[in-house]
Amino acid sequence: MSDLAIGLVSFPVLLGLIFLRVPIGLAMFVMALGGLYAITDGTAMALSRLKNEPFSTFSSYSLSIVPMFLLMGHFATLGGMSQALFKAAEAWLGHRKGGVAMAAVGACAGFGAICGSSLATAATMGQVALPELRRQGYAGGFSTATLAAGGTLGILIPPSVILVIYAILTEQNIAKLFLSAVVPGVLAAVGYMITIAIYVRLNPGAAQHREALPLRLRMRALADVWPVLLVFLLVVGGIYMGWFTPTEGAAVGAFGTGVIALLNGGLTRVRLMQAFYATARNSAMIFFIVLGAALYNGFLALSQVPQELSAWVVGQGMSPWAVLACILALYLVFGCLMDSLSMILLTIPIFFPIISVLDFGLTAEETAIWFGILVLIVVEVGLITPPVGMNLFVINSMDPQTRILDTYKAVLPFVISDIVRVMILVAAPGITLFLMRLMH
Amino acid sequence: TAAPAQEVTLKMHQFLPPQASAPTKVLMPWAERIEAASDGRIKIDHYPAMQLGGKPPELASQVVDGVADIIWTVAGYTPGRFPQAEVFELPFMMTNAEDTSRAFWEYAEANMMDSDFADMKILGVWVHGPGLFHSRKPIEQLSDLNGMKVRGPTRIITGMLGELGATPVGMPVPALPESLSKGVIDAAVVPWEVTQALKIAELVDYHTAFGDEALYTTAFIFAMNKQKFDSLPDDLKAVIDANSGADLSALAGRMMAEADGPALEIAVDRGNTIFDVPPEQVAEWKAAAANVEANWIAEMNEKGFDGQALVDQARALIAKHSQ
Amino acid sequence: MGKLFLALARGMAVLGGIVLGLLVLLTCLSVAGRVLNTALHGETAQSLFPGLAERLLDWGVGPILGDFELVEAGMAFTIFAFLPLCQIAGAHASVDIFTARLPGRARRALEAVIEWVFAAVLVLIAWQLWLGLLAKMRYNETTYLLQFPIWWAYAASLFAAVVAALTGVWVALARLVESVSGRVILHSDTGPEA
Ligand code: NA
Ligand code: NA
Repeated sequence: MSDLAIGLVSFPVLLGLIFLRVPIGLAMFVMALGGLYAITDGTAMALSRLKNEPFSTFSSYSLSIVPMFLLMGHFATLGGMSQALFKAAEAWLGHRKGGVAMAAVGACAGFGAICGSSLATAATMGQVALPELRRQGYAGGFSTATLAAGGTLGILIPPSVILVIYAILTEQNIAKLFLSAVVPGVLAAVGYMITIAIYVRLNPGAAQHREALPLRLRMRALADVWPVLLVFLLVVGGIYMGWFTPTEGAAVGAFGTGVIALLNGGLTRVRLMQAFYATARNSAMIFFIVLGAALYNGFLALSQVPQELSAWVVGQGMSPWAVLACILALYLVFGCLMDSLSMILLTIPIFFPIISVLDFGLTAEETAIWFGILVLIVVEVGLITPPVGMNLFVINSMDPQTRILDTYKAVLPFVISDIVRVMILVAAPGITLFLMRLMH
Repeated sequence: TAAPAQEVTLKMHQFLPPQASAPTKVLMPWAERIEAASDGRIKIDHYPAMQLGGKPPELASQVVDGVADIIWTVAGYTPGRFPQAEVFELPFMMTNAEDTSRAFWEYAEANMMDSDFADMKILGVWVHGPGLFHSRKPIEQLSDLNGMKVRGPTRIITGMLGELGATPVGMPVPALPESLSKGVIDAAVVPWEVTQALKIAELVDYHTAFGDEALYTTAFIFAMNKQKFDSLPDDLKAVIDANSGADLSALAGRMMAEADGPALEIAVDRGNTIFDVPPEQVAEWKAAAANVEANWIAEMNEKGFDGQALVDQARALIAKHSQ
Repeated sequence: MGKLFLALARGMAVLGGIVLGLLVLLTCLSVAGRVLNTALHGETAQSLFPGLAERLLDWGVGPILGDFELVEAGMAFTIFAFLPLCQIAGAHASVDIFTARLPGRARRALEAVIEWVFAAVLVLIAWQLWLGLLAKMRYNETTYLLQFPIWWAYAASLFAAVVAALTGVWVALARLVESVSGRVILHSDTGPEA
């Protein structure tokens, strides 16, 4: 078998393993080792990669934001902050159909504005919002799906790790990319809220409903949110004022919520241990998947699958729009299986040169930025498309009562909303580019 | 798994995106020369931006372990592993990249092949063009550095920043553009060429260079897996040897320095202020940084090298090739 | 035996949690030092209380040297220390669409096979980490600023990785016994107590 064939065959085998309930991280890990063994005719290379890669993945500075934000979420819950936040959200939005889910999406968008990582957004808002959604009688799959989708706002709304990587790979202006991501990001949040409104009308059992509260109670609920606001302002303000990097912001946030929990008497020894246990389970789960994805992507690169696929796409001699559609569709397919950062690192060096020679009636810079935002969105969709959607796993693992299949079912409307948005942005590049054009 | 025409495929792994100047101007042309000179019997697959996995500091281990066949890396990514290479990073050591790279190769052949480089087949060693300050506030006097948070790329350069009065910040490269844009750090030292890929000219307003002198440079290593090289037939070994060594190193140094020009133009076009420290003031900077060299010599003596001799040898070789 | 491993895994999680907490504190102190350092160099501080500002700066008020590399080294240990609990609690993400419909016996056999593969992978990781440690030692690699040997961080991680591998083998053994005897030994409890 050729290297390419081995790489191609690895997709369905990986899927088969995952459907046999092999943990995702383990499945990718085993496929990577097996694939490297087959391609390099021996164990040497597969084993050598394990000398440093698990350590370097686990010690990644940019990923260290994940356990810190998880810990922050647990402290926030222990300090009663998540309760307060959702009391306020519920007070103002709860009487609407699906209002608490909408509030969760809004909170995710707010969090996305301080956090560059979708996983961290999903994990943190999951810690804060999931117990409340469930307590308020929202169906399990609908709750987890809402938060998984909301978590993707962490990537789309700037700052975004993915956009920085794209800017560096394609030599584009980071500030212009961030600016261009704002409108599509807001559209995403609005689209999710519309999705929720439609979903609860079609599935009346998925959400509870009650009368609106008097203004006095609403204001009081809002007043209880001040510790959240304090930490939020410190973290957001600090990151935008340049006091610290996002990872440092996570540490400051964890410290701040820890102090508040301590002052509120929520931080007993037993509860601290439980916070550690929960942080441990979720962090280890996320990092093991990232490790599996890193190894698997290294194997894929070596098998030349991404390179050959893109060469095939170019060789078809299609119109620019068809090529773009193919590339975006390919990202959706890849996104069902792979982690977003590795996907960008693997494919942008191949796809970007193709796109940059095609004529879409835009300047070279506009094409590059528009394509970057489109890629960002389809990569983000990959985080919530079954079977392999990192956000789905992260959120689902936080709710033992909800089966992954229920999450899969409930997330489909959100995926459809994403695809509709991609189509609109493809058809009208001006929506993405007008802010950037306005500035010049 | 090999196509009929080619006998061997080599995996070339490095940390920069394929559009960066080092891959386009040095690494890919080298690969093409090898493929042509071997009549296609050697094929080189280029894996940029750490596509084969791992973080940049792992490249040195990857070429020793055979995870990659050929790697290009920064010596300073693995502090302690290539101690003798650090001599070229000492403040105001380098002159121009081409001559310093030729000197570096000769120095490496004399000192490093059986020690620092014992486990790899070295194809070339070189340095980039003069490194300089890129800052949000002007740096004209030495005292302007007081209290500035400055990011340095390797341990020698970070140490130098401390000696000059700045507050050195150790920070991974990917965090650099964002930190600079938001003011988490006030300045960074990199050569012009790197500012293009990292968009640094858009994030700062001031640049401080040192005229004909160079504040510092960074040592690069281009290496091949030893077993892989030994497994090649003699005529293919000869092809690789003929395209490696002193001439490759000097050419690579020159190409890296030439890439500084377009990046400098971007800063000029944007209207950034480029300040050249006048020659009579450079001495003041040299004096402030002198401790870095003294400390390095003492450290090397502790490790069992003759630190002073290495510094003298490096200076003499650079002088010889600058003639 | 089950209680012993659960206690061990929880102990590692708490140890990792404490290190994580220390990294949070370290990062906050470093941020505070950096912000203060900038403020003390600023015009306000230099005009209002120049003497105090200079004295504080002389004391070394500023970012903590090597904070980034300490976070990296500590985080590696933390994640390795978190693995045993994740393993014993069955908290790894998986897809149970098809297997949920399998008869009990077949499902338990499948779980046992998966746990054995997982145990093998964890043993492999610990073994290769040991070889990686030896290489870091051999090449004298250090960190950038504090210049402590990288193998120290590898050694801490190796200790946790060995515990994770042992836990993996124990879980695999327990699953094997379960699939043969039908008795339930491990509860895939991911609630607050696990
Ligand atoms: Na974001
Ligand atoms: Na997916």
